[in-house]
Amino acid sequence: MDLLSIRDLTVDFNTPEGIVRAVNGISFDVPKGKTVGLVGESGSGKSVTSLAAMGLIPNPPGKITGGQILFEGKDLVGASDEEMRKIRGNEISMIFQEPMSALNPVFKVGDQIAEVLMLHKGMNKKEAWQKAEELLHQVGIPDPKSSVQKYPHEMSGGQKQRVCIAIAIACEPKLLIADEPTTALDVTIQKQVLELMFDLQEKYKMGMLFITHDLSVIADIADDVVVMYRSNLVEKSDTKKIFTSAQHPYTKGLLACRPSLDKNPSRLLTVADFMDEQGNEIEVDPEKTKLASKPKQEHKDDDVLLEVNNLHTHFPIKGGLFGKTVDHFKAVNGVSFKVQRGKTLGLVGESGCGKTTLGRTILRLIEPTAGQVIYDGVDLTKLDKKQLREMRSRMQIIFQDPYSSLNPRMTIGETLLEPMDLHNIGANKKEKIDRAKWLMEKVGLSASQLSRYPHEFSGGQRQRICIARALAVNPDFIICDESVSALDVSVQAQVLNLLLDLQDEFGLTYIFISHDLSVVNFISDEVAVMNRGKIVELDKAFKVYHNPENDYTKSLLSAIPKGVPKELLEEGTR
Amino acid sequence: MDTADAIMTSDEKIEIESIKGRSLLGDAWQRLKKEKKAVLCLGIVLFYALIALLSWWGVIAADWGKEVGASYSPPSSEHWLGTDIFGRSVLQKVIHGTQIAMSVGLISSAIAIPIGVFFGAVAGYFGGWIDELVVWFYTTFSSVPQIMLLMSIAFILGKGITTVYIALGLTSWVGLARLIRGEVMKHKDRDYVQAAGSLGAGHGRKLFKHILPNVSHIVIIFTSLQFQVAIKSEVILSYLGLGVSGQPSWGTMIDDAKLELARDVWWQLAGATIAMFVVVLAFNILGDSLRDALDPKLKGKD
Repeated sequence: MDLLSIRDLTVDFNTPEGIVRAVNGISFDVPKGKTVGLVGESGSGKSVTSLAAMGLIPNPPGKITGGQILFEGKDLVGASDEEMRKIRGNEISMIFQEPMSALNPVFKVGDQIAEVLMLHKGMNKKEAWQKAEELLHQVGIPDPKSSVQKYPHEMSGGQKQRVCIAIAIACEPKLLIADEPTTALDVTIQKQVLELMFDLQEKYKMGMLFITHDLSVIADIADDVVVMYRSNLVEKSDTKKIFTSAQHPYTKGLLACRPSLDKNPSRLLTVADFMDEQGNEIEVDPEKTKLASKPKQEHKDDDVLLEVNNLHTHFPIKGGLFGKTVDHFKAVNGVSFKVQRGKTLGLVGESGCGKTTLGRTILRLIEPTAGQVIYDGVDLTKLDKKQLREMRSRMQIIFQDPYSSLNPRMTIGETLLEPMDLHNIGANKKEKIDRAKWLMEKVGLSASQLSRYPHEFSGGQRQRICIARALAVNPDFIICDESVSALDVSVQAQVLNLLLDLQDEFGLTYIFISHDLSVVNFISDEVAVMNRGKIVELDKAFKVYHNPENDYTKSLLSAIPKGVPKELLEEGTR
Repeated sequence: MDTADAIMTSDEKIEIESIKGRSLLGDAWQRLKKEKKAVLCLGIVLFYALIALLSWWGVIAADWGKEVGASYSPPSSEHWLGTDIFGRSVLQKVIHGTQIAMSVGLISSAIAIPIGVFFGAVAGYFGGWIDELVVWFYTTFSSVPQIMLLMSIAFILGKGITTVYIALGLTSWVGLARLIRGEVMKHKDRDYVQAAGSLGAGHGRKLFKHILPNVSHIVIIFTSLQFQVAIKSEVILSYLGLGVSGQPSWGTMIDDAKLELARDVWWQLAGATIAMFVVVLAFNILGDSLRDALDPKLKGKD
């Protein structure tokens, strides 16, 4: 008997627009002591499936309208609240994506771990706290004795996720559900957390349901993979088979759209290359396959567009009763580099390394403390307000979060018209609107959508709108600040392709900021690795990835998920 | 550019119209429509507004000062709400009071909103010493009990309806300024404001074109709640003898009633109180519903 068997599960949501089927009759099993990866893009129903297993579907609007969820043979669909409370956190427990919001900020870490133990194991406070210390030690938090006394905000993101894991395994559950547990973490931390989860699973012989949008994350740890697409289960198989001989076109697309470090194609294949709108398999265009395997051309020229010299950005740290400046936080601490016209410089580093501050300082959205930014022969740091405003039409930025970077009270048309108004592009309103329409088509959207508001678009579409807005002023230089990080891998590939197409067409120069090394490798000509406000390595992308010289770069590279199961890698090298 | 606009054909105009879509207000209205009690309260408010307008134009209750019957005659089919000491119709006085109450709400909001929005927006957007100065100013201002301020303004300006407008307007902007300041602070670091900056938008454009429309729902909610506060405050001021004089308002009617009750004349008190109670309740419920309908934080949770 399997630990968890989901049989023909159907979940409906009642929305103002009518009934939406979030999960449509799916069946799969999680055997005891095995890991099953549940893969799909946002909105595919994967999280709803896991919430259903926990009995956490909000009702209303959600309702399980059919099927069974068998946990050790017992159907959880009809279980009472009382029964579910006993199971939740005790026999089935869950880890969420955002460790920052999954912990209660006003309680000590020790309290939060002890709570589950006192609730389910009937321990008294003293025993529970002792056990909490032990658990923190198990999840690899240094100095557990003092760490139990800490509040969540005193810990880093990775440590918080470890605490969440400690809470989840406190009662030695039989089943652990992990919903994108590493998506919000840096790659080095991601690797550590994945290893920790794998070790704990071995130790406690837990069944694990691991939900993710990124196949490469689970390549190493899952025994079986279940792929969901638009509320349906499209493929289930063992992990090795998925990676070697995927059947469904969606799975094939997912595997192909993730940039990898070994190949450096000039274009990524996307899910749309494998299947049409209705989900039918289509023949992959051989022209595209060719592009997808053709390495990018390396051509040399020495036309420098942007030169950054010894740039510093420091933020004052205020302390004491009267808020005197006691010290400076050196977010950008002496950075120098050059970017060639028409090329892409990739800027990688972990969160907090100063890469975002660097990007915004170059555009003078944040004022530099010292140093020069020479753009096409003009020192930007010396410009007054008016001159700077004129320069803004040549340099643009695309932000990370497509949800917050569009004004929710302006239509897409108004959003695209604004930069043209500011820089007097287009003689009259008619010309401007024509240009807005043209821009929409350039970024792959329909001109008829200009009257819509941002909330009517998906994340990927919004990012396209942001790109259109940046292009509206005819820039020749764009900073992409984590511009694809918030997107699903399948959507990410489309946006990356779009950025490359636009670069070809308009001769754009990019600085591409990301924490994702494979994405940076795909898109960049040169790569700068940043750590603690400084650039530690800067060279041609190929060289940085294949012959890294700096130890920090090496540690970053080794942490990238290989994207293929270990056994396959070993077979490949044999 | 204006001339270019002027010579555009109607087709082109339609095209420009087409970049305007269903706005947030439109959305909010769709949501508000679904709530029966909100629609009912909106109806009540509109009814009061109509009464006030008709009274203002002199269509109804124009001759509230005329003696229509015996002094203190109780409610009857002829005089639905009875008469007062001078034999004037209480119903007509209540209607005239509606005009006073609505105008107090409207004008005091019209005074308070620009002050509150300006101080709140400037403090929230610029921060630093400007913020400290504004916060210092309004915390000092609001630490004096509102009734004391109202009374002192009334003493300085003398009695009368204008005093009530100004006094209520000047004392009620602090809450709005606080709310706006907080919301502006939240929005000013959002990426869309940064994006506007990177396109070359200056402070004015960022604040007025981008941030303020995103906090404007607060003004609408505030107005609906301010109305009922103003109506109640007018009653209190008039009751204290600092408000309206020379014409009937709900406050002066209630003030009169304190002597009348001893003689078992309850209808003047009842008329004014019920009229006030219904509209204050309607504004309160409407304010809450507006908050639910307009607040983007709650969006999608319905």
